[in-house]
Formats: sequence, structure tokens, C-alpha cells
Amino acid sequence: MRVLRIFLYLCIVLTISSCYSVRFQVSNGQWESADTEIDGSYAGYNVHTLDTIVTIKSTTGKDYFNIYDCPSGALHTVEYKNSLGSILLNCITFGRKKKVKIKYVCIKENSM
Amino acid sequence: MATTKIDKRMRWDTLHKNGPFPLKFFLTTKLEKNSSGLTGFEKYNNAALEIQKLIQQAADKNERFRAIGSKWSMSSIAHCKDRLHYNSFMNLKFSIFEGEMHEDSTYDHSNLFWFQCGNQIKEISLFLERRGKSLKTSGASNGQTIAGCISTGVHGSTIDMGSVQDYVVGLNLIVGPKPEDILYIERKSKPALRDTYTQNFNSRVIRDDEIFNAVLVGLGSMGVIHGVVIEAENLFLLHRYVKKIEKAKALQLADRLDFNTYDPKIPGSNFKGVRPFHYKIFINPYNTNEKEYAVEFIYKIKYYENYKKDFGNPIPFQKEFVYLDLIYLFIKITERFPKSIPKLINLLKSSILPKEEKTTVGKLSEIFWDTGYQGRAFACSFGVDHKHSSKTLEVLTELTRKHPVPGIFAMRFIKQSEATLAFSKFPFTCMIEIDGIQWSDKEKLISLKEYSTKMIQVLKDTNIPFTIHWGKNANWGFHGLVEHMYGDKVKKWKKVRSSLLSTQMQDLFSNEFLDSTKLSKPLISDEDLIA
Repeated sequence: MRVLRIFLYLCIVLTISSCYSVRFQVSNGQWESADTEIDGSYAGYNVHTLDTIVTIKSTTGKDYFNIYDCPSGALHTVEYKNSLGSILLNCITFGRKKKVKIKYVCIKENSM
Repeated sequence: MATTKIDKRMRWDTLHKNGPFPLKFFLTTKLEKNSSGLTGFEKYNNAALEIQKLIQQAADKNERFRAIGSKWSMSSIAHCKDRLHYNSFMNLKFSIFEGEMHEDSTYDHSNLFWFQCGNQIKEISLFLERRGKSLKTSGASNGQTIAGCISTGVHGSTIDMGSVQDYVVGLNLIVGPKPEDILYIERKSKPALRDTYTQNFNSRVIRDDEIFNAVLVGLGSMGVIHGVVIEAENLFLLHRYVKKIEKAKALQLADRLDFNTYDPKIPGSNFKGVRPFHYKIFINPYNTNEKEYAVEFIYKIKYYENYKKDFGNPIPFQKEFVYLDLIYLFIKITERFPKSIPKLINLLKSSILPKEEKTTVGKLSEIFWDTGYQGRAFACSFGVDHKHSSKTLEVLTELTRKHPVPGIFAMRFIKQSEATLAFSKFPFTCMIEIDGIQWSDKEKLISLKEYSTKMIQVLKDTNIPFTIHWGKNANWGFHGLVEHMYGDKVKKWKKVRSSLLSTQMQDLFSNEFLDSTKLSKPLISDEDLIA
């Protein structure tokens, strides 16, 4: 019973610690605004989300994603999120499947 | 043509969640695409026609219409229940050339720029910096649109400059759906642009000081501000230093604004006797034993390219923030146990007060950079003559100790504005503000409405003349409040409004905020019109 409890605690700690996000943003650009009810640090920002699972083929090299919905052609913020689920998915598929969750904010059009 | 997306909505809220407020339609106008090959003037005029079309649609339905920008105001000034017009995507920019200046203009053409309403402070700053220019002042942050800033009187603590509206030299207003309803207004005493230039914007020119000053802080009710002509200046640097100074000295400086003999003793610099560009005092109202206040001194210095080499980057590489959940947890505690507020404020002190004893040097846009915390906030902000600074602080902090709320006080100082309804109406206005996190009215704390009512009452009782920041929380329905603050200026403002807007348009550009302050009520008698 005690072992099970320790195992459970370990799982919780692992789950929490493996969930993280890293956010990059340019300091000298105007973000694209939006009137939404988003709370917190993205309040007032037009946030786009890319949430997908990609399958890597053994014959292809590094993958990249095209972003089509930035009229200015420039990014203001990119936030990459990792979770235990995405790590496990990558692990059990031997790196063939990757969960990608990215939030991004464009530079406002005509602001430069 | 510019295009507008019309969304049906049930509600709308401010950036700091001071609502929600009911709403019928949310309108978002976007400019013609750059690939259209249209000139800037053509795109701008297309947008003007689109706005007029939307005004006509609202008028046909007997509904109200209001332009909004970044919704930073915490009062309901930006809201109307029918149609809100979001203008953030309308952000064209025009430089002014020598041949476009009015023959009697005293402005340097290279400092003048015409910005469409949806330009935000940050993008304006970046645009100007690429041309070696800077805004003269801004608010504490940079997300507001230029039209929003001037409509509500956004200010910093620039003692000898004033607020954002004070460097506006011309306004392009749309006051109705007819062709002659597109106006360009500037001061007769300080003309800026040649009529032939304003014709590019299909505008009817009005040069009149009284009209200009009234529309300058127009509370979003003088029509749609489509464009703003501002006067910028050459790039400069700001030298910022926060230190604790003796309470009595900080307040004496506030009451006198005399820095002739004062030495802030900032390491590595000599600012003895120098009048600061910006002076701000932070006050924890719950710590009566505090012998010193944290004070922010900002001095204007000459711009040079390699300032980052000498002082480091003013914008932090890694931005820190306080966990919002932690703040909300504290607020939940204080709602149940009001007496815990002083302790919790002291606990959060290091996070909510600026870091001391660190020199930061940067451009205006770097010193007043992105805001860190954008959650459920409240702010009550009163303007008083700076000579009454310490007395007002005493009265308001005493009230706050009797009725604790989760916030801290600050004092900022701004030069008098010429705008008719500017809250910076005193020769030098001290803005005394309490900023903090919203709380629930249901618990043991005093409600925000009740708290702000008591603030008004206590200032009236002590005979301290005051104004209130239009974009901040207050009991705006307080009987006779606006007349008490502005006296006959209210009639002047209404007179200009009724001269520019038809009765139908006056109602169309009104909202509940204007109704509650009685500013939407037109002047009726000849006597009123003469006043």
C-alpha cells in the first residue's frame, strides 16, 4: 500500500513538473490586438493556437510548420507547451508521433 | 473598400474585467488590403465612408454607437449597449511634409504626424523611433489607442508636459453620416496644416480654440475620432531611479514641486537642483509607521546610441510576474477577513512596489513598456491641485484604513491641460490614485461603489477641489458630481457638442456613462447657450 502511495505521489510530481510552457516575444513589435475575454497576460492579444499531432516518417528530416494567418508576415509571441501526455506519446511511439501545442501572436499589420 | 464584420454579442467587458456590460453588436472594421494598390489617403477615406455607413445603420435602428480602442478604461466610459466599433485595425500613419504646413504654423513639420485612430501607443513609439522621434509622454504602459488616450485624458507623471491630449495639434472627427460631417479641427491660435492637405482626407476645416479644446477630451461622445495629428519631439532618454526618501520630504516636494535645492543623491549621476521629468510617490496606506516612501525619479537626458552599453537593456531579458492565482487567493482571504489586508499588502509589497536603488535608462517607450499584470483590477484616481497633495493623501488614506480595500496609493503630477474637461485642470495636478485587485461585494469588505462614494464625500467635506480620472472607477452617478468638478466648463463643453452634432447624433454618441453624469443632456435654454 505504501509503495502504491509513493508511486502515485511520484506520478503526480512527474505530471506537474513535466507540464511547462516557454514563451518568447519580441520586445520591439506591436502585438495584434483582439477584443476577447481572455484573462491574464494574453488579455487584449489575438492569440492563435496550433494543437496537432505530427507523424514523422523515417525518410524525412526535420519538420516545420507554415503559419498562414499572420497578415503582417511577422510573429510577436510564440509559446511552446509541453505536457506529460506529449512526452509519453513521443516515448511509446519511439519518436514517430509528436504532439505539438503552440500559441502565437502576430505582429499587427501596418504597425512597422 | 474597408470592410466591417458585425458580430452579435450578449456582453462585453473591459481589459481589466470591470463589467461585464450588455451589448447587441460588436463591429470590427479592417482597412483595404495593402495589395489593393490604393494609396494611404484612399484607404483612409474608404475607412471614413465605412464608419459613416455604420453610423447611418445605427441611426436607422435608433441605436447608440461608440468607437472603442483597447478598452483599458475601468469605468464604463467606453461602453454602449447597442453598437461598439472596434478600431484597432485602423492604423494608417502619415508623415507631414513642409509644403503641407499652414502658412502661420509655428510647428516644425518633421515633428508632426497624422495617426489613424487605432494606432496604439507602442506602435506609434516604434514608428517615431525609426524616424529619430519620440512621443512627449505616455501613460504608465503602451497598449492604449491614441484616440482612446486623448478621449479619456491618459497621463503619466510628466510634471512639465501634461497628458497625451496635450501634444495633439489637430483632430479628424466624423460627427455624422453626411459628407460635410467629416471635420478637421485645430486651434485658431496655433494652426498646423494647410487646407489643401486636409482636403486629402475630405475634411471640412474648423479652426477654433474653444471647439478644439472641447473635443480634445471628448469622452468618446463628440463623434468618432478618425485621426489625430500629434506633435512629437526628437528622441530623448529617461534616467529612472527608485529610492526611499523621508516621508516628509517626499510630501514637501509634492506640495511645492520645487526641486531647486533638492539632491536625490542618485549614484553615478548629479541631478541636484534638476527638475525631474517625472516624479511619483508610492504609498502603502496601511503602514502608518512607515518613515520613508518609495519615490520614482525620472530625469530627461540627451539621447545617444550606445546607452545600453552604459546602463544595460531597460527591457528585462526574462519578464517576471506574480502568480495570478496567488493574488486571487489573497483577495479571497481579505474578503472574509478584512483586517488581514494590511498584512497581505505588506507581504506582497516586494511584488507590487517598484524595485529600489537600480538605475534604468531607456527611451520613453522602453521605460513605460508592456504591462505585466492584466487581471481583474480596479483604480480610483483623483486630481487635486498639487498644493493639496499631502492633505488629500492624509484624508484618503485615513478613509482607506477605516474601510480597507486591497490596493496601494500612488501620486503622480501633471501640467495643466487646455482641454475643457481635462481632469488635469489645476496649474499642476496631483493625481492621487489607489490601484489594486477587484474583490467581491458580497463579503465583509466595503463595496467599490460605496468606497468611491466615500472618497468623493470626504473630499467635498474637507473642501478640497478635485476631479476624477474619466477612465477610472468612481460613483459616476454621484449627484451633481461633474458640475462640482468642472463648474461652467460643462456648459461650454455641451455648447460645442451641440454645435457640432445634431440632436440625433448627440444621442447616438451618448452612452450610459454620459447619461449618469448628465453630460448627455443637451443644453436647452438660450441662457445656457450663451454661457
